[in-house]
Amino acid sequence: MTDTPPDGLDHGMKDGMNDGLHVHIERLGSAHYALVSGLRLDVPPGEILTLMGPSGCGKSSVLASIAGTLTSVSEGLLPLQLQGTVQLNGRELSHLPTHQRGVGLVFQDALLFPHMTVAENLLFAVPVNDVRGTKASTAQRQARVQQALQEAELSGMGERDPSTLSGGQRARVALMRALLAEPQALLLDEPFSKLDAALRAQLRPWVFAHVRERRIPVVLVTHDAQDVADAQRVLHLRATEESPSHV
Amino acid sequence: MPNLKVLGPLLLALLAAVPIGAALWAMGAQMLHATAWQALWADPQIGRAWGMTLWTGLASTALAWITVAHVLTSGFIRQQLGRWLLHLPALLATPHAAMAIGLVLWLSPSGWALRLVSPGLTGFDAPPPWFTTQDPWGLGLILALWLKEVPFLLWVAATQMQREDLRRRWQAEYALAQTLGRTPAQAFAQIIWPQLASRLRWPLLAVLAYGLTVVDMALIIGPASPPTLAVLTWQWLSDADLLTQAQGVAAAGWLTGTVLVAGVVTAWLVGAASSRRMRGYGQRLMLAWAAHLPKPSFVVGWSPNVVWTLILSTYIAVWFALTVGSVSGVWPFPQVWPELWTLSAWQQVASSAHTVWTTLGLGVASASVCLLWSVAWLELAPRRWQQALQPWFLLPLVLPSVLWVVGLYSLALHTRLEGQWLGLSLAHAVMVLPYVVLALVPAYQAVDPRQAALVASLGQGRWVYLWRVKWPLLQRAIASAWAVGFAVSVAQYLPTLYVGAGRFATVTTEAVTLAAGAQRSLMSAYAALQMLLPIAAFALAAWLGRPRRFEKIAPMKATP
Repeated sequence: MTDTPPDGLDHGMKDGMNDGLHVHIERLGSAHYALVSGLRLDVPPGEILTLMGPSGCGKSSVLASIAGTLTSVSEGLLPLQLQGTVQLNGRELSHLPTHQRGVGLVFQDALLFPHMTVAENLLFAVPVNDVRGTKASTAQRQARVQQALQEAELSGMGERDPSTLSGGQRARVALMRALLAEPQALLLDEPFSKLDAALRAQLRPWVFAHVRERRIPVVLVTHDAQDVADAQRVLHLRATEESPSHV
Repeated sequence: MPNLKVLGPLLLALLAAVPIGAALWAMGAQMLHATAWQALWADPQIGRAWGMTLWTGLASTALAWITVAHVLTSGFIRQQLGRWLLHLPALLATPHAAMAIGLVLWLSPSGWALRLVSPGLTGFDAPPPWFTTQDPWGLGLILALWLKEVPFLLWVAATQMQREDLRRRWQAEYALAQTLGRTPAQAFAQIIWPQLASRLRWPLLAVLAYGLTVVDMALIIGPASPPTLAVLTWQWLSDADLLTQAQGVAAAGWLTGTVLVAGVVTAWLVGAASSRRMRGYGQRLMLAWAAHLPKPSFVVGWSPNVVWTLILSTYIAVWFALTVGSVSGVWPFPQVWPELWTLSAWQQVASSAHTVWTTLGLGVASASVCLLWSVAWLELAPRRWQQALQPWFLLPLVLPSVLWVVGLYSLALHTRLEGQWLGLSLAHAVMVLPYVVLALVPAYQAVDPRQAALVASLGQGRWVYLWRVKWPLLQRAIASAWAVGFAVSVAQYLPTLYVGAGRFATVTTEAVTLAAGAQRSLMSAYAALQMLLPIAAFALAAWLGRPRRFEKIAPMKATP
C-alpha cells in the first residue's frame, strides 16, 4: 500500500513502484459505435511513444481516456466511455478524476491563461506541497518558476502578457508549465502542429530532451513523420469499415 | 442517496420554472370567463387598437431587423464593428421610457425641434395643434421602438461575433467564400448572415413581443385614440370594475395569441431566409414574392455610417433634452432656451430619495439573484438540460408584460407577497432572468473546454479552475450580465405598479406618471435619473470587467 501525501497526489516513485504507463482499452466509444478497441499501450519511464493514424481514428480520445478528460473532449457530442484499464506506476487511474491522476497534458494550442502573466502561468502549476507533503514557501515556488523560465530560455520575460510571446515561446511555456506540475506521465497532443517547419525542427529536440530528463512515460500524438524520428516507438491506429477506427 | 449532480440542477430548474409556471397557470385560469371575452369583442375600440398594435409592433421590428442586417453586413466587411459597438452600453442603458420622454421633448408641438425654427421659418408664436407625438399613425412609437431595438439586436449580435471561436471560424469562412468567387457582400450574406440570423432568432422574437405589447413607451409617445391594445388592456386591468378587469385579462390573452402567431411566423421567415432548408412550396412562394417587392432603398442604400450616426445623434439629442429639461424653469414658446434655470426638480427628487433607494434596491437584488442563479445553472446543469429548458426561462421575454403582471399578481396574492418588497423583487427577478441568461450564455459557450482539462492535468481541482481561470476570464461577461439585469429592473413599470400594489414608487413609475402631466422639469429629472442609474451600473461593470493591464514591455525580437 502506498502513502498518499496531503496534496492528494500520489507521486508514485518514492515507494519504488515506477513501472510506467500501461493502458488497455477493450473498447472506447459511445453506445452506438466503438472508436477504438483492443488497444494495449505499455510505455516505460523515459520512453516517448508516438501514436499516429488518420484523422478521426481516435488518437486524441486515447489521450483523453488516459487523462480522464473524455467528458471535456466529447462535450456537445455523444459521450465516449472507456472499457479497460489505465495504470500508472502501479496505480489504477480509470476511476480517478483528472486532477488526481498525475498526468500532464500539452495541446496543440499552448492554452496559456490570457489573464495571467507568463510567470503566473508557470506558478499556477507549481504544487503547493512538495513530494513529502510539506508546504512549499512562496519563495521556493517562485524560485522554481525562475528556473523554469531559464530552462525555457525566457529569463526576464516572466512579467509579460502571454499574447506577446511568439509561437515557439508559447509552446515552451506550455511544456514547462506541464512539467512544473510534476506529472508522472505526459501526454502531448500534436504539440508542434501549429508551428512552422523550421520552428518545429528547433523545438522538437528541446521538448524531447526535457521530457526524457524527467524519466517519465510520454505519449505523443502527431501527424508529422518528422516527429517519429526522435521517438523511440511508433504505433499506428487505423480506421476500419465496421467502426471508425481500431488498432 | 440522491445524486448531487442531478439534484443541484433540478433544484435550480425548479427555482426558476415554478414561479414562471405558476404565473402562467394563474393567468390562464383567469382567462376562462366567457362574459369577459364577450365584453372584449363588443368593445368598439378593440379592432382599431389591435390594428394599431400590429402596425407599430411589426413595422418597428422589421425596420430594426433591416437596419441591423445592414449595419452588421457593412461593419463586418469594413471591419468597423468594434468601433461602432463601443457606444452600445450607453445606448442600452437608456431605458425605453426615458427615450420616449426625450423624443417628446424634441418632437412635441412645443418641443425643441419646432422652437429651433420658430418663429423664423414657421411664423408660430404658439405651439401649433399638431399630432407630432401621440400621433394617430403610431409613427412616434415606431421611431422610439426602432431607436431602442437596433442597439439591443446589435448587442446580441456582438456577443456572438466577439466569441473567439466564432470570430475565427467566420473570418476563415468569409475569406474562403471570397476565394470561391463571392464578393465580400455575397460572402457575408450567404455564409455568415445565415448563421448569425439563426442565433438572433430569440432576441428578435423578444423585440417583436416587446413592440407588440409595450405599455410605458406607448403611454408616453404612442397613439391615444385609440391607443395600442396593450395600453387599452392596461387601462382595463387598472379599472375598479371587476368585469372591466376581466375584459383586460381577456385582452391580455388575445394579445398573447397575437404575439405567439406573429412570433411563429417571424421565426419561420427568419429560418426560411437564413437557412438552406427552404423546402416547401409555400415558403418558396413567399420568398419569391418577397424578392419582387421593391427594396426599401432609402434605408438599405444609406451608408451604415449615416444610419449609425443618425441613431447616435438622436440618443445624444435625447440625453441633452432630458438634462436641459430637468433644470428648466419658465420656458415660454418659442424660446430656444429656458428663461429661468432652476434645480428645483432635482431638489424634489432628492426630497423623495426613497424612490431612488427603492429603485436601487430592486435593481441590485433582482440582478444579483438572477446572476447567481444563471452562473449556478450554467455551471451545474448538463448541456442538454440547458438547451431543453432555455425556451421556458426565456418566456418572460416573449410573452406580454400585461399578461405576466396578471399572473405574477395572482401568484403574489396566493403567497401573500402582494405589496411586499420580497414579492416585488421576485417579480422583477422573473422579468430580469431571461436577459441575464441571454447575456451570459454566449460567453459560457465560448469557454474552451480544454481549459478545464488542462487545469485538472496540472493537479488542480474544479474550484481552483472556476476561481482562478474560468470566472476571471468571464469577468467581463458576468459584470455586463449583472448591469443588463440591473438596467432591466430599473425600467420595469407594470410589475412595479401591479405586484407592488401601488405601494412602491421607482424612478420609472414616477417618470411615466409625470409624462401624462405638465411638470416638464420633474418628468425630465426622473427620466434622466432613470437613464443615469443604468449608465452607472454599466460603468461599474466596465470597471469590474476591465481587462488586466500587463507590464508594458518594448517589443522584442521574437525567438523561436
